[in-house]
Amino acid sequence: MSATSTSAWGSFVTEVQKVPAFVRRDFLVQWSYRFAFFSDWANLGLQVVLFYFIGRLVDADRLPAFAGDRPSYVEFVAVGIAVTSVLQVGLSRVVTVTREEQLMGTLESLLMTPTVPTTVQIGSVMYDLAYVPIRTGLFLALVSAFLDVSFHLSGLLPAAVVLLAFIPVVWGLGMISAAAVFTFRKGLGFVGLFTLVLTGTSSTYFPVELFPGWLEAISRLNPITLALRATRDSLLGGTGWTGVGSTLLALVPAAVLTLTIGVMAFRAARRRERRRGTLGLY
Amino acid sequence: MVDAGTRLPAVAISGVSRRFGDADALREVSLDVEAGEIHALLGPNGAGKTTLLRIVCGLVDADHGEIRLMGVPLERLGFREHRRLIGLVPSGDRSFYLRISGLENLIFFGRLHGLSRRAASERALTCLEEVDLADAAAKRVGVYSHGMQKRLSVARAMLMEPAILLVDEATHDLDPDGAIRIRDLATGAARRGAAVLWTTQRVDEIRGFVDRLTLLHEAEVRFRGTVPQMMATSPTTTHLLQLRAHDPHADITAAARGALDGRGQLRPSGDADGEHFLLSLPDDVPLGQAVATITAAGIDVLACREEHSPIESAFLALTGGGRP
Repeated sequence: MSATSTSAWGSFVTEVQKVPAFVRRDFLVQWSYRFAFFSDWANLGLQVVLFYFIGRLVDADRLPAFAGDRPSYVEFVAVGIAVTSVLQVGLSRVVTVTREEQLMGTLESLLMTPTVPTTVQIGSVMYDLAYVPIRTGLFLALVSAFLDVSFHLSGLLPAAVVLLAFIPVVWGLGMISAAAVFTFRKGLGFVGLFTLVLTGTSSTYFPVELFPGWLEAISRLNPITLALRATRDSLLGGTGWTGVGSTLLALVPAAVLTLTIGVMAFRAARRRERRRGTLGLY
Repeated sequence: MVDAGTRLPAVAISGVSRRFGDADALREVSLDVEAGEIHALLGPNGAGKTTLLRIVCGLVDADHGEIRLMGVPLERLGFREHRRLIGLVPSGDRSFYLRISGLENLIFFGRLHGLSRRAASERALTCLEEVDLADAAAKRVGVYSHGMQKRLSVARAMLMEPAILLVDEATHDLDPDGAIRIRDLATGAARRGAAVLWTTQRVDEIRGFVDRLTLLHEAEVRFRGTVPQMMATSPTTTHLLQLRAHDPHADITAAARGALDGRGQLRPSGDADGEHFLLSLPDDVPLGQAVATITAAGIDVLACREEHSPIESAFLALTGGGRP
């Protein structure tokens, strides 16, 4: 191994070792807001009740079948919520990290440490990335326990792999959004709109087959639609690993595209801020 | 830690300019700071002090000019090397995570500097003791006073014992005792070999504290040297006099001006009582002689006190009369 690659590897390891510090910081901050911590769990329970009643309004015959099985609306939407919660973390946290640090006045202090911005972003999202699967798992468990919903247990691992492969796509989208917030400051409205468009055209809450033909065709290219289809096939249709491979292959170019644009946009935004002298200001 | 005997200045700023839109923030600014030296960057609000500090930190790009840290041009310093050289005490009150303790904040920043958790914890405790915050280590930063937050900020800046300590307006909102403690910490850092660049708009705090100073005003360097050298530039000394004429109908200003005959300037201070006047004297006119002249003109000098210290007078003269 050359000296350069050893040095690059050493730098990588140093950066990775910083990530637990972010997780501890975020846990301590979250724990200091205990009421918000517990109200989030209450909110989760209420969400389950809400979708139970919405489910009673929806004609299940209009829902698509997965491996020949037609799910109930609650089953359909529960998987949708589980997947999009990953999207929401990726988008909102990567973006709000920058904004929160700007508002708290800590961004400048962070930037004065020998820590690359990517580590700051990844580190700041890690706590949520660990917390969201726990929260999502509990959500699915509550739905299964109280709403007569059943998932194929054999589909859990394939679904988890699809979600894992989905994270780079979300990360790229998050970086694009973060660049927008870096530049426009009050960019959270844009992020909200972006999230709504992505989830609204992805079959999270209703099947894309309900759209007009042209919009349905576009929606099928939405990476969230791809991830949702594979996850529902595994969890609701019981297809196991069948089809997971093709979904992963389809998610790779989407990840490359969004990450490339995201990295370029974020670097451009940082360069612009340094040029303008407003880096770290809000 | 830096070798105090090094020949190269720790910070060398040469001909740095920066514009924001149509406004010049800095024009051809040069200064250098030696290891172990406290160098004040003095100037009124908007002079360009913070912009210069942000350029040295790499948070803002300069349009022109060169900055060398420990002899190496900024653009040739690696990202990590640059950050390790500098400790920054920012001017803002809020640069910590207010919901977690001072100790946890320092451990977090220590870990971002590459320390292990144990090493970061030990170093954080040492730094907290140095800034006299050991008793408050476990308290949330949100309950710290301004002075405590500033001391915590110094502790964070000193975590890695940087060669260069940049302090941005650290004392502007502190009580006298708090300000003295922060200055003592900077002095301690300089004694250990750090080059300290201390920005301030407080003229009163630099005397007896800094080794050299650079005065910035309207984006330009107006003075560079030691405090005594700056005081020597003071063209006049101003005193506030309380005067009362023997003849209650006499025009005090006209009578005193006539008596002084150009060897000083007397003008009303603007106070409502009409008895207070500002007397500005050139260096070669003793105060006692001027007072005797006024008294001989039939005007009693009821009180006399120095209006500006020589250093304030120099500051006002160099900045065109603007108050610090």
